[in-house]
Amino acid sequence: MKLFRRKKPRPSSDTILSPEGVPLTLKVAGLGVRIAAQLTDLLLTLAAAGATLILLAVLNLTEPHTLFAIGAMLFFLTRVPYYVITELLWNGQTLGKRLMKIKVVSHDGRTLGTHAIVLRNLMKEAEIFLPGTLVLSLDAASPILSLTALAWAIMAFLIPLLNPWRQRLGDLLAGTHVIHLPQPVLLKDLARETIPIETDGTRITFLSHQLDHYGAFELQTLETLLRADTGKMTPTAYDNHRKTLATIIEKIRRKIGYADPVDPADHPAFLQAFYTAQRAHLEQRQLFGDRRADKHHAAAETSA
Amino acid sequence: MDRTVTLRSARFRADREADWQLLESLITQAERRGLQRMDFASARDLAASYRRATTSLAIAREISLDRALLDYLEALTARAYLCVYAPQERLGGLVHRFFTASAPQALRRSWVFILAGFLCMALGGLTGYLLYLENPSWYFVFLPPEMAGGRTPDATTAYLRSVIYSTDPDTTGLGAFATFLFSHNTRIAIFVFGLGVFVCLPAIALTFYNGLGLGAMLALHVDRGLGWDLGGWLSIHGVTELSAICIACGGGLQLGAAILFPGPRARRDALQHAGRDAVKLALVAAIMLVAAAILEGFFRQIVQDMTIRYAVGWGVGLLWLTWALLAGRSRA
Repeated sequence: MKLFRRKKPRPSSDTILSPEGVPLTLKVAGLGVRIAAQLTDLLLTLAAAGATLILLAVLNLTEPHTLFAIGAMLFFLTRVPYYVITELLWNGQTLGKRLMKIKVVSHDGRTLGTHAIVLRNLMKEAEIFLPGTLVLSLDAASPILSLTALAWAIMAFLIPLLNPWRQRLGDLLAGTHVIHLPQPVLLKDLARETIPIETDGTRITFLSHQLDHYGAFELQTLETLLRADTGKMTPTAYDNHRKTLATIIEKIRRKIGYADPVDPADHPAFLQAFYTAQRAHLEQRQLFGDRRADKHHAAAETSA
Repeated sequence: MDRTVTLRSARFRADREADWQLLESLITQAERRGLQRMDFASARDLAASYRRATTSLAIAREISLDRALLDYLEALTARAYLCVYAPQERLGGLVHRFFTASAPQALRRSWVFILAGFLCMALGGLTGYLLYLENPSWYFVFLPPEMAGGRTPDATTAYLRSVIYSTDPDTTGLGAFATFLFSHNTRIAIFVFGLGVFVCLPAIALTFYNGLGLGAMLALHVDRGLGWDLGGWLSIHGVTELSAICIACGGGLQLGAAILFPGPRARRDALQHAGRDAVKLALVAAIMLVAAAILEGFFRQIVQDMTIRYAVGWGVGLLWLTWALLAGRSRA
């Protein structure tokens, strides 16, 4: 019998299949940002419980020897509803999560249910707070109990590290995980800029065989370079930017066999024209089922 | 002369850009004010615009190589998806539904597990009782000294009686409530539920052990002719509190059983499925523990008569039973 089955390669952990059948990209939030959110929430609930305790003490409703028990009860009674209610009202975000711009989503892409929110937050009690208080109230008299609490706490911490969605035990049971909120920013379309004409009046044109060398990766790298904001650059940075452009143009010219030398004043215009022509060419090839991921596409085709 | 419009992907983007920007503003509105407070037209537009954006995304992935456009559409549709598929439930309705339908239904569905929980406790009690009668030194094994609180086989009958009918407790009111809420039994209930995941055994063992202590204590008091008095003392809150432990044990057993016998499902799915009812059992157990702490903190010292103690304890127990059996049944 095989103990370890080799699993099929899984789809990226950052995609969720929406009910419309279109996979969406939602980046899984790491442990660091989640701990930061958790600490914020912890401080908030502690402050609320502390304020209530002081109020009770002022009203003379407490006795010195039950102060600790009442405090523990108040903390418990504030934090349990806090997590459940905030996540219900703000669509999977507590105040700490709002601050860190992260969010709970349902693992299967459907609506985040009430059951899931209640379950994952109740498990938080068993997973974090119970071993936490046990570890804090350790004494040498009961080593077995303290070691069990420690082992439980370590296990609770290790589970998220061992799965790609960084789910803790409560997430696993509830079928949820935590993601970064995506920020949509629409940049202008480079291909819609009118192609500038060279200083000597001729238009830059490329032949179809000249555009067969590169793939989508190179095109999108060029796009990033063209989007660099030259207006905000320091003089030295601008100098370096121009030098980079010159080197790239030399490389492109040698690779595609573009005979005419390009005047330094025309460098941005040349790259702009090349980007547009290359993108038009690649997109057309793609429509005919010929996806070119990068410049090695020719080698990949012959080997396959 | 103008070559730019010939690019299919650029045309695609130019045609739909206005719609995407509308969607973006609707998302901001929904996130800031909440879906419930949006007017009808905007809510309808949000849903329709979101579905158009998902189509755009699927097409753009096929026809466009514009990184900026792809990134924008990915983020926009993801953000809109989070808005459209947000939980739509109101808090009041949720609480109402829990008490009138989902909790009692869950209790009835998992009656086998709850019965197993009660059996564990009862068997433990019987074993503890018989073992004590055989040899009283078992008492010290089952009940650690800090729990027994001086009520050991060495104590005098008068002392045992004084504990049961003590009118001068050291804590009262809120302090007593808090102390009892976080007492031994609550911790047992949490462990019994949480540890059920580890193939049932810890849940069974802990419930049984709890029963052992109970049985031994009962045996000690029966031995001294105080059996009925202890029964009253325990009944007033114990009926609720011990039932809560048994229900928590039932929830734990359900989780453990899902891992042991997942049936046709994968273990992970079976656990998730069992979790739906188990969580409701845990919530019911938590509510019962709070009720028990109120009974213990406020009523046990006020009510000193044995028969009234029985009446209150078992009366409350009967109320729980009626609720579990009758609430949330459909009229059909």
